[in-house]
Amino acid sequence: MKARTRGALVLAAAAGLVLSATVAACGGSTRPAANDSASAGDLTYWYWAESDAPGANKWMQAMIARYEQQHPKVHIKLVPQSTDTLIGAFKTASQTKKGPDIATQWATLPVLTPAWTGASVPISDYVPKSETANWIGTQENTSDGKLWGMPIYLLGVPFVWNKQMFKDAGLDPDQPPATFDDLLATCTKLKAKGITPIGMGNKDGYMGNWMFAIYGKSSLANIGELQSAMLGKAKFSDPKFSAFYTDIAKLRAQGCFNDDISSLDLNQGWQLFPRKKAAMAWTTDGNALAWAKTLGSESIGVAAPPKLGDGPMADTYDTTQSSSAFITSWSKHKRAAAAFLAWLHQGPQLDAWYAQTGVFPADKRFPDSKITDPLARKLFELDKHESVWLENYLPPQVDQNADLPAGQLITSGSGTPAKASALWDQVIQQWKTQHPDEFQHYQQWASG
Amino acid sequence: MGQRIALPRTRALTASGARRRRRALWPYGFVAPAIAVLALVFVYPIVQVVRYSFYAGSPGEAMTYVGLANYRNVVADPVFRHSVLNNVKLLATVPVMTALALAVALLLNGGIRGWRQFRAIVFLPYILPAAAVGLTFSYLLQRNGVINAFLHDVGLGSLAPDWLGSTRWVVPSIGGVIIWQQLGFGVVVFTAALLALPGEVSEAARLDGATSWQLQRLILIPQIRGIVEFFVVLEAITVLSQVFNYVYVLTGGGPGNASSVMEFYIWKNGFSLGSVGVASTVAVMLLGVAGVLIFVYMRVRARAASA
Repeated sequence: MKARTRGALVLAAAAGLVLSATVAACGGSTRPAANDSASAGDLTYWYWAESDAPGANKWMQAMIARYEQQHPKVHIKLVPQSTDTLIGAFKTASQTKKGPDIATQWATLPVLTPAWTGASVPISDYVPKSETANWIGTQENTSDGKLWGMPIYLLGVPFVWNKQMFKDAGLDPDQPPATFDDLLATCTKLKAKGITPIGMGNKDGYMGNWMFAIYGKSSLANIGELQSAMLGKAKFSDPKFSAFYTDIAKLRAQGCFNDDISSLDLNQGWQLFPRKKAAMAWTTDGNALAWAKTLGSESIGVAAPPKLGDGPMADTYDTTQSSSAFITSWSKHKRAAAAFLAWLHQGPQLDAWYAQTGVFPADKRFPDSKITDPLARKLFELDKHESVWLENYLPPQVDQNADLPAGQLITSGSGTPAKASALWDQVIQQWKTQHPDEFQHYQQWASG
Repeated sequence: MGQRIALPRTRALTASGARRRRRALWPYGFVAPAIAVLALVFVYPIVQVVRYSFYAGSPGEAMTYVGLANYRNVVADPVFRHSVLNNVKLLATVPVMTALALAVALLLNGGIRGWRQFRAIVFLPYILPAAAVGLTFSYLLQRNGVINAFLHDVGLGSLAPDWLGSTRWVVPSIGGVIIWQQLGFGVVVFTAALLALPGEVSEAARLDGATSWQLQRLILIPQIRGIVEFFVVLEAITVLSQVFNYVYVLTGGGPGNASSVMEFYIWKNGFSLGSVGVASTVAVMLLGVAGVLIFVYMRVRARAASA
């Protein structure tokens, strides 16, 4: 009997050891490991930026090669991510606490929600304030007084138009539509000349996100109002939030968009502009500069998007860091990861970024004087305006399940603005019940 | 003395009983590793999926027990109901592809010149990956894609809708792609079944003056009825629970969730958004429906084998 008890105890102890070892192996730690050195370690970097800034992947490959040469004990494996699995792939990684040492997500909520569930560590714990103070847009990724993600570049969303097509339609080539009414009038004139007014694609739903980000704030006083709708204190179907769908539907009804908008992805739709198959588009700084090379910089005009509404936020521009890099909680080389990220923000790396992509680095140390192209300077001036990228403040579930399909309903003409906003309210309610933990964190974060 | 005699007997009996028991347990010992592997690979995940269906949140985060709330919410979700409806609509492809496959198989069975080559050509789409098929058709079916350009060229521009971009046409378009790919499998199965039929019955019918149509309708098709039933059930299972690739690549569930199906709903919630509880709930429902179909399939298969 004693022998049996002893055996059982040994077995239990062994099982306990195995269990704790397993738990330790599976679980991440927010503390740096004892052997965590800033200058040694094998890192895996899940990276996404190419879609915003063509050339970004090449730049990152070159920077990794340069960094490995300077730091022979650091090895970085670059794993480019695709747009449609960016959130899902990291969700899966964070469930198993395995995967990248450095990950990329879109700014604000996609960065903060993994932080709230313990999947990432504050980058401000590893990079000194003297360094992070130079980064632009850090407010987008700040929660509980800590910074959770690092910006690399600025994504400005200008409105572009083809000056020659404007001339052909009898429009002033130097006078872009300033308001939504102007835009409708411009569309009518372009259509009368057989020109497709706006070239976009929304098969993947991302154009709908953009419309929300640019025009969803047209009647809002501040971000808090949007947050109250997410928290169920206000209905999204309130025209304050959803009236812009009526205006987008008007654009569609008037034939302002290309007829294949629903069968082209955002990137495919954009190609209509440089191919001279559409006269206007909302796009990125990087695309505008690339298209200027194709069409000639004298043929392309850039300006802030036509204004809609008269709310206090209607005048804000649309710049965001778009994607942010952060360190995962399970990384065994957090210091090495942080050192590499901070190194990316140093002068030569920022210069290389700008040379490769033409997209402005999100760093105050990058001198304006390096921007010599007049069109680029104009875009940079626009990016300096007060900006809010409204989509950043949506919980990922609401963004994916409401923002994307609701926009598709409008641009495909298969749903009314009322149906689109009803979908929002329904998804917000689902998010609240399906992710009670995330909802609570959101509540705390929104309360400041 | 009695005890001294009884003891060895009892021992002998016990020893032989133990041997019998050991012998009886031997087969279980042999199959135990396989059962353990099956339990680990199949039973454990199924149990976990059922368990997660009662929780909100994601593994790795704080999960909250919500009882049957996920089931209630899923049933109340219009997107889920629409996804189920789309699955049901896609089931309509099964009789279409069965009839087409049967027609082609009977045609090839008629001994037309080069029937083997024709069969290989018809079978070719079946061996292509669904993702590649979806990607190709996503270009062909664009509003200004090849198919519509052709329709415009031949003066049928009015019949050229936005196949994948309109809520009205998107599900029929996906159904068309599924039929295009799965047809070859039916043709091969039916051709093989027709070739295996004894020639005497057909010969006798011909001697009795049966026309070609009568021969096929009254003699050949009834003889391969079991195979046809098997194909129908198999394709019903495929269309119900294996169409994710087509939807994901062709439309991404859009526009506005119009082409979402149950599998896509599971993927979106479980993998894209981390709502594992909701995804598990729908997976349990789908498992139930697929289970019924698999049961029917096994019955049909057994009947076909004994026929």
